[in-house]
Amino acid sequence: MKKWISILMVLTLTFSVAACGSSNAAPVESEGTSQTQEGIEAEAEASVNEQTIYPVTLTDQLGREVTIEKEPETLVSGYYISTSLLLALGCKDRLIGVEAKAGSRAIYRLAAPQLIDLPSVGTAKEFDLEGCAALKPDLVIVPVRLKDSISALEELGLTVLAVNPEDQKLLTEATLLLGEATNTLPAANSLIRFQEEQLALLADALKDTEAPSVYLASNSSLLSAAGPEMYQNSLIANAGGSNAAAELTGDYWAEISYEQLLAWDPEYMILAADASYTVDSVTGDPNLAGCRAVKEGHVFQLPDAIESWDSPVPGSTLGNLWLASILHPQEYPEAQWKDAAATFYETFYGFTPDLENLYAEE
Amino acid sequence: MRKNDPQPPVSCSDYSLWEKRMLTATFLITVTLSLLSLSIGKYPLTPALLLGGDPQAVRVFLTLRVPRTCMALLGGFGLGIAGNVFQTVFHNPLASPDIIGVSSGASAGAAFGILFLSPGIFSGSSPGLSSGGLPVTLSAFCGGLLAVILTLALGSLSRGRFSAGKRDASIVLAGIAVHSLAQTLLMTLKLLADPEKELASIEYWLMGSLGGISLYRLPASLIIGVFSALGICLLHRQILLLSLDESESRMLGVSVGKLRLTVLLLATLLTAAVISNTGLISFIGLLAPHTARLLTRSSRFPTLLLGGLWGSLLLLAADILARSAGSGELPVSIFTSLLGAPFLIWLVIKGKGEP
Repeated sequence: MKKWISILMVLTLTFSVAACGSSNAAPVESEGTSQTQEGIEAEAEASVNEQTIYPVTLTDQLGREVTIEKEPETLVSGYYISTSLLLALGCKDRLIGVEAKAGSRAIYRLAAPQLIDLPSVGTAKEFDLEGCAALKPDLVIVPVRLKDSISALEELGLTVLAVNPEDQKLLTEATLLLGEATNTLPAANSLIRFQEEQLALLADALKDTEAPSVYLASNSSLLSAAGPEMYQNSLIANAGGSNAAAELTGDYWAEISYEQLLAWDPEYMILAADASYTVDSVTGDPNLAGCRAVKEGHVFQLPDAIESWDSPVPGSTLGNLWLASILHPQEYPEAQWKDAAATFYETFYGFTPDLENLYAEE
Repeated sequence: MRKNDPQPPVSCSDYSLWEKRMLTATFLITVTLSLLSLSIGKYPLTPALLLGGDPQAVRVFLTLRVPRTCMALLGGFGLGIAGNVFQTVFHNPLASPDIIGVSSGASAGAAFGILFLSPGIFSGSSPGLSSGGLPVTLSAFCGGLLAVILTLALGSLSRGRFSAGKRDASIVLAGIAVHSLAQTLLMTLKLLADPEKELASIEYWLMGSLGGISLYRLPASLIIGVFSALGICLLHRQILLLSLDESESRMLGVSVGKLRLTVLLLATLLTAAVISNTGLISFIGLLAPHTARLLTRSSRFPTLLLGGLWGSLLLLAADILARSAGSGELPVSIFTSLLGAPFLIWLVIKGKGEP
């Protein structure tokens, strides 16, 4: 009997939370749809399905089965992508510990300045097991590359989820996983819908365009290229370009020579958002004087004032849109990606981005 | 080490002929490899394009392909003869430029440059973005030099504690200490580095590559390198005297301390001029002189030259493979070791280089 009463209570609570959750998190899709009685009922039903009922057993991105006993009130995230994801899911007040160097992330300053002062649990190189345990979080989220630390954390009595948001598909998976784990599925679904809708609009706008060749260089050096198996390749493809470095193999940055870059002779050169060199140093490099992108003034750096859209963060879709507006300004004008960016950050991060100054001042 | 060498053959003139033959053969192989190096690369260069005056093809050839080949040729030569000097001066067959801290000092210097000196500092005068460009080259060069100066200074401080014959041992000990210090510094810098940005550059620098060499980065190193190499060649007789016991050298009228200092500084300048541009290149400094000695079984001037040529040959071959074996650029050190080690082992097993 007691069990039935508690189930009933959980369901009632679920309904009430779901109602306000969905109205907050999904302003994007409500526009232009007529709210019939059936529609409202269907949405209510969907919201029920979007509630997490604890204890819940989830399969994380290492394939481990993890049981979360109750809705986690306190979270620790050991990776900037999962931290950014948790912000987008509306969990900023639940975070009690984040990865090291949080102060260097502009998005934290803009969306949740309190994160910068939170205790650091180290980096993906050096995770601080004791520091993390001392915070006694309900749930710890770590990148899969910290898998060796997971068993130690579990022995300390912590619940750990491993995430691997290294490309768009894995990011979507991670979004759903964290949505379910933190009982924020409505926001997670809304986030995924936003990304899918924007990419569909983009694909539609670019369907009759020719793909110019684009060379994407890494943060460390202009001569370090993104090959076709890298996440950055999808950035180029979605934006209606073709990867100049398509012949490279391997899923990590490949070192190349000036000669190779000149042989590819790309129409556009795009520098990674956090590049340690500048557009000027590329256009002023005499070794590249004969290169098409340099001659035509087609050397650009991905914006970095908000976050680096060339890594698989929730806002990475905006990187696709930005690049499309560079490669195809007629078909996909600048105003369109700026609208999308403003909507995105206002909806999911709660701040209005300054889209006139796209680059952080050094 | 000279004491343990096999006795020279009876007839000196025979030896000269063999040395000459070896030198000529190695020289011819090196020339062939140089030509091959000029004709292999990612940019589709053809004689027709070059003779036709295609501006981009000519520019690639003159500013990238030729400088890269020159760097492999002269860099390998420099590392080869510098290695010979270190082995002779320290009476130690295992001595390589790192024994007095050149390489580890240069590594720490490069890491420092990658982390703290933005390429923008010299942007007007210094093109060349790979591995950070001129600031990194300069920083690596200064790091290598600084480490050696520190080693020599520490070595001379311990003057009283070592007997006259063991003076070089004090330098080697100081070198080991400086090497460890530089390694610690390097480790700290790596820890500070952003894994996405600087750490990747540091790691790649430590593996060595000629991919970023261009005409615009070559001249300063070339001048320093050629000057030091010439100095070493001119001082070759005196260097040989250093391989004797210190007391014996002194009896032969050699000012051991000054000479050793000069020679070590020249070899350091030479090594630093090369590796500050290319990143660490493993094994050549050790392997090339040994190969030459095993082939000629002497330590006279032709052997010094032969060691240099073997260095050129190895670096050229390794660089050709580094740029053509994969879809991108591969680290050159992989190939210097891969090519050099089996050959050295074969020579050691075979034991004799006599005709």
